[in-house]
Amino acid sequence: MISAVDLIALLPLLILTGTAILAMLAIAIRRNHRLVFLLTVAGLLGALALVPMAANMTPRTVTPLLLVDRYALVFTALALAAGLVVVCLCRSYFGVRADQPEEVYLLILTALLGAGVLAAGRHFASFFLGLETLSVSLFALIAYPYRDERALEAGIKYLVLSGAASGFLVFGMALVYADTGTLEFSALISASSTLTIIIGTILIVAAVSFKLSLVPFHLWTADVYQGAPAPVTAFLATVSKGAVFVLLLRYAVAGGLGQAPALVNVLSLLAALSMLAGNLLALRQDNLKRLLAYSSIAHMGYLLIVLVAGSKVSGSFAAEALLFYLAAYFVTTLAAFGTITVLSPSDREAESLDDYAGLFHSHPWPATVLASALLSLAGIPLTAGFVGKFYLFAAGGLGELWTLLALLVVGSGLGLYYYVRVIFQMAKPSLDIAGKPTAPAPLEAHLVLVVLLVLLFGLGVYPGGVIDLLTMAALR
Amino acid sequence: MSLALLILVLVAGGMLALLADRRDSALPRWIALIALIVDGALLAPYFAAATSENGAWLDNLRWAWIPRFGIGFHLALDGLSLLLVALTVLLGLMAVAASWSEIKERIGLFHANLLWTLAGVLGVFLALDLFLFFVFWEVMIVPMYFLIALWGHENRAYAAIKFFLFTQVSGLLMLLAMVVLVLLHHAKTAIYTFDYFALLGTKLDPDAALWLMLGFFIAFAVKLPAVPLHTWLPDAHTQAPTGGSVILAGVLLKTGAYGLLRFVIPLFPSATLDFAPTAMALGVFSILYGGMLAFAQSDLKRLVAYSSISHMGFVLVGLYARNALAVQGAVMTLLAHGLSAAALFMVAGALQERLHTREMGRMGGLWSDVPRLAAIALFFSVAALGLPGLGNFVGEFLVLAGAFRATPTITALAALGLIVAPVYSLILIQRAFHGERMKPRRIHDMGAREITAMICLIAATLAMGLYPQPLIEIADAAISAKPGPMVAERSAP
Amino acid sequence: MSDFVQVSQLWPLIGYSAAVLVVIGAMLAIPRFLSHERHARYTEEPFESGVVPVGDVRVRLAVQYYPVAIFFVIFDLEAIFIFAWAVAFREAGWLGYLEMLAFIGILLASLVYLWRIGALDWRTRRQRLQDSFLD
Repeated sequence: MISAVDLIALLPLLILTGTAILAMLAIAIRRNHRLVFLLTVAGLLGALALVPMAANMTPRTVTPLLLVDRYALVFTALALAAGLVVVCLCRSYFGVRADQPEEVYLLILTALLGAGVLAAGRHFASFFLGLETLSVSLFALIAYPYRDERALEAGIKYLVLSGAASGFLVFGMALVYADTGTLEFSALISASSTLTIIIGTILIVAAVSFKLSLVPFHLWTADVYQGAPAPVTAFLATVSKGAVFVLLLRYAVAGGLGQAPALVNVLSLLAALSMLAGNLLALRQDNLKRLLAYSSIAHMGYLLIVLVAGSKVSGSFAAEALLFYLAAYFVTTLAAFGTITVLSPSDREAESLDDYAGLFHSHPWPATVLASALLSLAGIPLTAGFVGKFYLFAAGGLGELWTLLALLVVGSGLGLYYYVRVIFQMAKPSLDIAGKPTAPAPLEAHLVLVVLLVLLFGLGVYPGGVIDLLTMAALR
Repeated sequence: MSLALLILVLVAGGMLALLADRRDSALPRWIALIALIVDGALLAPYFAAATSENGAWLDNLRWAWIPRFGIGFHLALDGLSLLLVALTVLLGLMAVAASWSEIKERIGLFHANLLWTLAGVLGVFLALDLFLFFVFWEVMIVPMYFLIALWGHENRAYAAIKFFLFTQVSGLLMLLAMVVLVLLHHAKTAIYTFDYFALLGTKLDPDAALWLMLGFFIAFAVKLPAVPLHTWLPDAHTQAPTGGSVILAGVLLKTGAYGLLRFVIPLFPSATLDFAPTAMALGVFSILYGGMLAFAQSDLKRLVAYSSISHMGFVLVGLYARNALAVQGAVMTLLAHGLSAAALFMVAGALQERLHTREMGRMGGLWSDVPRLAAIALFFSVAALGLPGLGNFVGEFLVLAGAFRATPTITALAALGLIVAPVYSLILIQRAFHGERMKPRRIHDMGAREITAMICLIAATLAMGLYPQPLIEIADAAISAKPGPMVAERSAP
Repeated sequence: MSDFVQVSQLWPLIGYSAAVLVVIGAMLAIPRFLSHERHARYTEEPFESGVVPVGDVRVRLAVQYYPVAIFFVIFDLEAIFIFAWAVAFREAGWLGYLEMLAFIGILLASLVYLWRIGALDWRTRRQRLQDSFLD
């Protein structure tokens, strides 16, 4: 039975749902871009403001499906903030490009709802529900500019492959259920790991790897990143992947995934392949969005180290490392795609590396943001990415994963090459000014970039405050 | 507090230079100059305080930073740091002077990057928290990368990325070793700390110590550089603008040696003992191989770059000879090489500015065109080859004298370097300044600004060569004292 | 494992399926060996009914058909939840009633939305333009 306390714990998600319905009705009554935008921002801010209130009720199991604890709420807050950033970027981007831009906000709200459910999921049913809510919203978001062939192709590609992945997921869940008779993560820890469970879990891991675009399930990534509108790519790269990762860690810790050596080996292999292949494939890219796509593959590989280590170190440290890395990665990735959004002229996107030649001279401000984001992705000190990488080293060191850490070093070295290549391109003297993308200077998008830049260096220079917050968010 | 100020002045100076560029493009040069002079003034009281009765540590500053992992903002200064910081400030001034007429575009950004590099270097020389040290270690690379990539010569993109990759990847190995060291310390004591003094006494089993030591050693050996890891250096030094080359050769290479002396040897004493023969062999190999390659170069800057590798080999031999005499020698070599290499790069830069080439094949007979420049080049060439009475001789002599006590064979081989050095030093003079004058050139000799800068360096080299005792005394307290927390907790003077 | 015991009872079914596959396989394979291939002008034409086909087999339905079909499926599926609730009406109590109210409310809101954005409009764009002219 649901009590009032349960409802308070769920309040952020409920506000999100309410906002989505309100936005839908507002569109039904009269299309007004500004109104829907403001409504969405208000809803997201409201949900964010209620997170601390919900945190007072934690940990609380609401129905067998959801466990609202600080771990879930920290990620929910992170996702909501990222959603806010994306919404601000979307306003000017879709305002000039789409005939009917209002539904973008609706879809972002439902996607965030899915992410919130994933973060709190403690049951295969909520796992599947959250994942599908998130994915279905993303299909539509990716293919939103439906007159653009590449966006449509990206949308269909994501739809078909995502459908296949969901099939594997459900089959894996069915196998696990067949053997244990339960769908709760926490009930799995006592189950002896039979062959059926291991095969089922590997199927689940395969499906999740697709969502996280881990090698060898990464083939969609570059095309979808490139085809999707830049703000949507930002959303896909951050919230969608982060939510799945957060759930995966909870599943791994609560379900005792680390007890089966076969699974640990599978995860290590995925991590190693992703780190290497992602970075190697990114080396020769001349398209910034594709480059960031491959780099995201590598970063998900790095992050898997935390998961593999999670079987050896305490769950709370793994959670702390994961959440910090995600926070840093969110800020950085949003800053990078935010710059792409801001720089894109209204008829196309600034994605070719040639668009960025001499950017430091023609557009010093976006160039600074992009350069900082790239340095953060490369893990240079004083940026958020460095502290994230430090956490990876700490987690890997505690878990004694020397091979993976060596690969992390190699991968980071490769990564430096292509990140710095972009920065060098931006620092070149610009050849011709005529064909350069011009920034239309929408106020809220620039404001978002300022905030992201401050956070990027704030997290890097003084991470203490956030770390204190995260240590309270320990995963039990 | 004044330690943080040292770094802060340079960081703020860089910001100011960047902003001032819009107002007046000459302003950044003056801002950089003033910032460095202020730093020099801040250092002066420490020289007065650097006597043996004041103990090893002259100043100490400790603020909490990330308590979760026991990371603090911990700066401290002893004699060794003091000498290297002073060298940094001096060569910073030289770099500004050398860039005065060479850099003509984006002057503000250039000086900002220059000052930020120097700020990072100062941080490296002062940091006593491993995490903080690593932050400075990596951060100083980024502006240096821009110096090479934006203002470098024809092949700058390749040189810059190579420099960046070598140093960053080896840096990551060091980070890994650091984190593991801290985790092992935590396993023993249940305390997370990155503080140098706390980690000094960590008991490690030999295997772990060897691996961790290697993680640090590789990072420092890349920077030093020791021979198998040196390939970034000739490219970076050759392609960098003169100011960048001065900083690279004069200061950045010294961070590697400093790291070995400050961190590797005290943190892993027993592993160092086992590793010493290998390290000394690498040093000897660097001396001979670097010297031979220097001889084979036709590019003036490349020649000087390879000669740096050779000289740094002496440093490596000296550091791993494990006695105070040799270590003193290594420190003196660091200082003297900083001066002479910087001067030689400035000469090469001055020639390139006038002739638009670094090829010695296209020089020849310059003595009659630019007698002052040629005389200065000769002075620093003989300094580099180790002429008694000049700074480099003191360092190399002490290294060989100290190392002879430890391992005579290796020392004998290293001494061969003293034969190689005159060969390449004199070939430089021979090919560039003597020989046949191809055609009369209309080039001007060194002006007042360049001469003033050179006189500073000449005076310093002479002083080091003729009366090195004060410098040896300053360094001595730091080298001979066993580093330990008790000494460090002494409050600032 | 009781699951595996039951498998033995499935043998007749499995045997039957295998027999079907064998027969079909044989029917497809035998002509390949007995016939010799000859390609002439009318070899590929259908002959049994005697009428030569005309037109394309892929009939193009109006695009409006698909959204409406999908809406039907969606709303139909959602209705299943109402059945599930109806079965447990007493057990779910007032809370269940409120939840179902919210659920139906959301469905209603989306129906309003679909109606207002014209997703239920069966006309093509051109027809819509014509109609607005007539008004």
